[in-house]
Amino acid sequence: MIGKKSLSELIQELRKNENIINWHEIEPKEPKTKPMPSSVDERIKAALQKRGIGELYSHQYTAYETLQKGENIVAVTPTASGKTLCYNLPVLQSVAEDNSNRALYIFPTKALAQDQKSELNEIIDEMGIDIKSYTYDGDTSPSIRQVVRKAGHIVITNPDMLHSAILPHHTKWVSLFENLKYVVIDELHTYRGVFGSHVANVIRRLRRICKFYGSNPQFICTSATIANPKELAEQLTGAPMRLIDDNGAPSGRKHFVFYNPPIVNQPLNIRKSATVEVNHLAKEFLKNKIQTIVFARSRVRVEIILSHLQELVKNQISSKAIRGYRGGYLPKQRREIERGLRQGEIIGVVSTNALELGVDIGQLQVCVMTGYPGSVASTWQQAGRAGRRHGEALILMVAASTPIDQYIVQNPEYFFDRSPESARINPENLIILVDHLKCATYELPLKENEEFGPLDVKDILEYLVEERVIHQNGDTFYWANQSFPAGNISLRSASQENVVIIDQSETANVKIIGEMDRFSAMTLLHDEAIYLHEGVQYQVEKLDWDHKKAFVRQVDVEYYTDANLAVQLKVLEIDKTKKREKSSIHYGDVSINILPSIFKKIKLSTFENIGSGPIYLPEEELHTSAAWLELQEVDETLGEKILEQLLFGISNVLQHVVPVHVMCDRNDIHVVAQIKAAHTQKPTIFLYDHYPGGIGLAEDVYNRFDQVKEAAKNLIRKCPCKDGCPSCIGTEIEGISAKQRSIEVLDQF
Amino acid sequence: MSMKNKLSRMKGHLNIEEKPSVQKVNQLPQATDIPFIEKWNEHHTTAYYLDEQYCLIREVRYPIDTIHGNYSFTDFQTIVSLWNESNLEHPLSAKGLNSEDLFFFDTETTGLGAGAGTSIFLLGYAFFSGEEVIVRQHILPQPGSEVPFYHSFLEKINYETLVTYNGKAFDWPQVKTQHTLIKNHVPLLPEFGHFDLYHASRRLWKNKLERVKLANVESEILGFSRQDDIPGYLAPIIYFDFVERQDPEILFGVLKHNELDVLSLITLYIHLSRQILQADGYGEESLEVARWLGYLGEKKQSIAAYEQVIQEGTEEDRLAAMHAIAFQKKREKDFDGACQIWQEVSEKGSSKHRREAALECAKLFEHQYKNYSKACEYVEKAFAELPISMDISSSSVMDLHKRLIRLKKKQVKEHLEKDKQSADNRD
Repeated sequence: MIGKKSLSELIQELRKNENIINWHEIEPKEPKTKPMPSSVDERIKAALQKRGIGELYSHQYTAYETLQKGENIVAVTPTASGKTLCYNLPVLQSVAEDNSNRALYIFPTKALAQDQKSELNEIIDEMGIDIKSYTYDGDTSPSIRQVVRKAGHIVITNPDMLHSAILPHHTKWVSLFENLKYVVIDELHTYRGVFGSHVANVIRRLRRICKFYGSNPQFICTSATIANPKELAEQLTGAPMRLIDDNGAPSGRKHFVFYNPPIVNQPLNIRKSATVEVNHLAKEFLKNKIQTIVFARSRVRVEIILSHLQELVKNQISSKAIRGYRGGYLPKQRREIERGLRQGEIIGVVSTNALELGVDIGQLQVCVMTGYPGSVASTWQQAGRAGRRHGEALILMVAASTPIDQYIVQNPEYFFDRSPESARINPENLIILVDHLKCATYELPLKENEEFGPLDVKDILEYLVEERVIHQNGDTFYWANQSFPAGNISLRSASQENVVIIDQSETANVKIIGEMDRFSAMTLLHDEAIYLHEGVQYQVEKLDWDHKKAFVRQVDVEYYTDANLAVQLKVLEIDKTKKREKSSIHYGDVSINILPSIFKKIKLSTFENIGSGPIYLPEEELHTSAAWLELQEVDETLGEKILEQLLFGISNVLQHVVPVHVMCDRNDIHVVAQIKAAHTQKPTIFLYDHYPGGIGLAEDVYNRFDQVKEAAKNLIRKCPCKDGCPSCIGTEIEGISAKQRSIEVLDQF
Repeated sequence: MSMKNKLSRMKGHLNIEEKPSVQKVNQLPQATDIPFIEKWNEHHTTAYYLDEQYCLIREVRYPIDTIHGNYSFTDFQTIVSLWNESNLEHPLSAKGLNSEDLFFFDTETTGLGAGAGTSIFLLGYAFFSGEEVIVRQHILPQPGSEVPFYHSFLEKINYETLVTYNGKAFDWPQVKTQHTLIKNHVPLLPEFGHFDLYHASRRLWKNKLERVKLANVESEILGFSRQDDIPGYLAPIIYFDFVERQDPEILFGVLKHNELDVLSLITLYIHLSRQILQADGYGEESLEVARWLGYLGEKKQSIAAYEQVIQEGTEEDRLAAMHAIAFQKKREKDFDGACQIWQEVSEKGSSKHRREAALECAKLFEHQYKNYSKACEYVEKAFAELPISMDISSSSVMDLHKRLIRLKKKQVKEHLEKDKQSADNRD
């Protein structure tokens, strides 16, 4: 066998590749350390020493010292910079000082909580101090729950459990709440949108309970890089935060490379599949035994790429050395893969974004992304998987044909110059707030003048009294209903009444695979819809709207479905307005009546319309917040028909651009164009939050509209198609220089 | 848009059931201004004040010779004396207590969940005082009056001797939860002793009753039937209605229900105690009582109870008791006595007992009498008694197989030895 190539050799070769359209280098960084603070307990010092930790990185040191001063902190830490020590050190120290001290760890998922427990228990064992840490989740057996409640120094849980099991039963957790010193919120950046808005309210409830038992815990948050960690942490916890971002962990040189697959169909602007290109690129690294991680967008993609890679390099390395990693693997299997990666026995791993979160797999040399991960923050997190503390690393993003991927790789300055997205939450969303006020009242009677977030909630409480859910006695509100409010409120779903998705592919094994809010269900789960669940295609066989059940069966088809909705939009109230020369931009409350009409079948590879069918569902009503763009003056020469087409095209572009700018799912915000809006008869484009009451996305669009507009113009301008394609304004509009005119229309806003 | 406007617009999303609105009475009650106080007074109910707040306490007295179900309350005094004379150690024993020490206790709550938001609105108990049985009920006039409610309760009751129906798992944890919420304002809640009649009832009647609910025990066992009773599950709705309108009339049904509950606990306690103490000789519960005593380690009492069943019981109970006695005899190494009983049970007992008895015979013949062919016979008999539905790979079947094979081997070996012996003798 010929000698293997080194990573630097491969990097040199890659530089010559003609499909590379941007090459960005990140300079190496030296470690910044501080001596272990003298106040740290000797037993902890010794245990850390055993693991080779004799001093702290600067951010770990600052975290520790800031907490000792009694402040709350949010530590922004890239992957593998030793963030767990930022909270484990102060927490263990506090228990070492006083055995009655308690801490609560909140992780977004059960799996991360389990990981943390194992890691924590290893250190505790080496310390030789009797510190008990337990996970408390749905899997905790009833027999040890009692022990956890009474004697657990460190209770590791998730927000859902806190919401529905711990807080409503706080009287069984007296020793935790009376002695709670620290609340750790890990992976802070995952608490955004509806979920984050719910969790912020759960934390409000937590702080009320702590206050009742006379404790006032400090918060320790850790977050991946986002634009607004301090703001998010403060909004989520309602407490002032100290930002800690002096990352002192070292890193080597990194090459961040954008790769655009060659065009294979000029008129339709279709490129070679990203998956195929990824296979070939990854193969080069693997066969030279360079540790590589490949990210794919779905579970299916993971499996496809995995089998290709195993096939491609089967003669060079054993198939055991290339593994898949995604949700659905058993925990034991995942631990084995993580260990294999750390110890270098596994050369390659193909993963979904499951490995974006803080699972410890050590540092790899190469990271290949199949398509743009969807947000700047997420991209940096995936990129963080490659890069050892010494030596070079390569990050390769292979673009797909979608508008967003193309926009990103063709506008590298967009990606590199801008800070990652902000994570937004709106804990004051009325529906979410009302839900949690109910839970709060259930947990402890609520005083009239008691604070629950920045809003004055007295009106809501009075409303709930009128609805006979709570009872007022003097200046206090009491729960007065036989139901258990937390039981009906799920933190993770959008609207309360969800459609359950039932997979009946196997008659012997009918199972629930997910749930969806009913507004989204109308367009995504109607009869005959192709529903994608974690990358697997299902066809909806029957949507039982009355019982909110969708029966699906796994299929393998070359198309997806797109539902047309007859949308009626009524403006209820205008809160803010910006006047422009030829237009105005508004923000306010709208009511939306939605009636699904037909759905289209669209071919995956070409976006061709290959069929359609009717949808029979009742009308739905949604009250939410919206931003809308109104043309005051219309260019008479355009003609109504053409203007309407242009507005549709612009909507299409906005629908792609907006989620990137406000950091949300494509489905969280909807764009609707109307040639004559009902309230003004003027050409208008509405962007509304697809959640009752709104979650702050439309407001964000309103505030940053000029940025969004520039991005939209840029996308249209840089699209290599001649005069419109599905990657930009949708379809080609014959002979009117649609792209140019779209930009002109956008310029009027 | 005002908040209320927004709220009513979004009503559909808010998880709130539509309900008819009702005119509500919702002033902060003044010490002198309790709604419908005359009506309350007419129904033996008075107000209890603590700081600016109040709760209501209803008190009903019954002469001690009142009949409730199959017993008179005077029987309770008899049973307490019986316990005091008995040496039996039993969870329901009232030894060392006198009849005025016990509190028969039950609560009504605003829901079934055990969370902090489920509150108790009625604390009811019955106790003996001189020639009377007094039922006292503390009523929460509305949420928020918990301090006088629990304060009055805690100062009036002896929590060391509560008698409840499933209070260990339900009522008392609820009291503890609610107490935690106001613990700074009321006396401490001590640990408490407890007679839980639910567990006793389950032991004795779980085969007889489909569900061992208090209402079923009353009608099936205690000879007490209720007229126009309000089912317990309606209590929360009725209470919330009362909170809004404050008219005592609304709550009377629930009060009556709770009153009968606590009175029935007296009758139930009498009945259970009489069974356990074998005060009435043989009865249909005697067999279960004997088993329970055995379980508690009261060997002598248990055997005495079995003996009584053997003497007076139905054929079925008699055989079951003999079966149990045989195990006892075997433990005492009275193998002949045990074997004799089991031989009978293996013929006449219930199917399960026939099988068990046959197996026991087989063991005795194998290990004590070394009579392998007889042992084989009994193993085969045990096989014959296996239910058809029995999984042949189950451990009890496999054990029988192994036993049979072992016995056959022993038989062969015995034969060979005998042959050899006779050959030797011939030599």
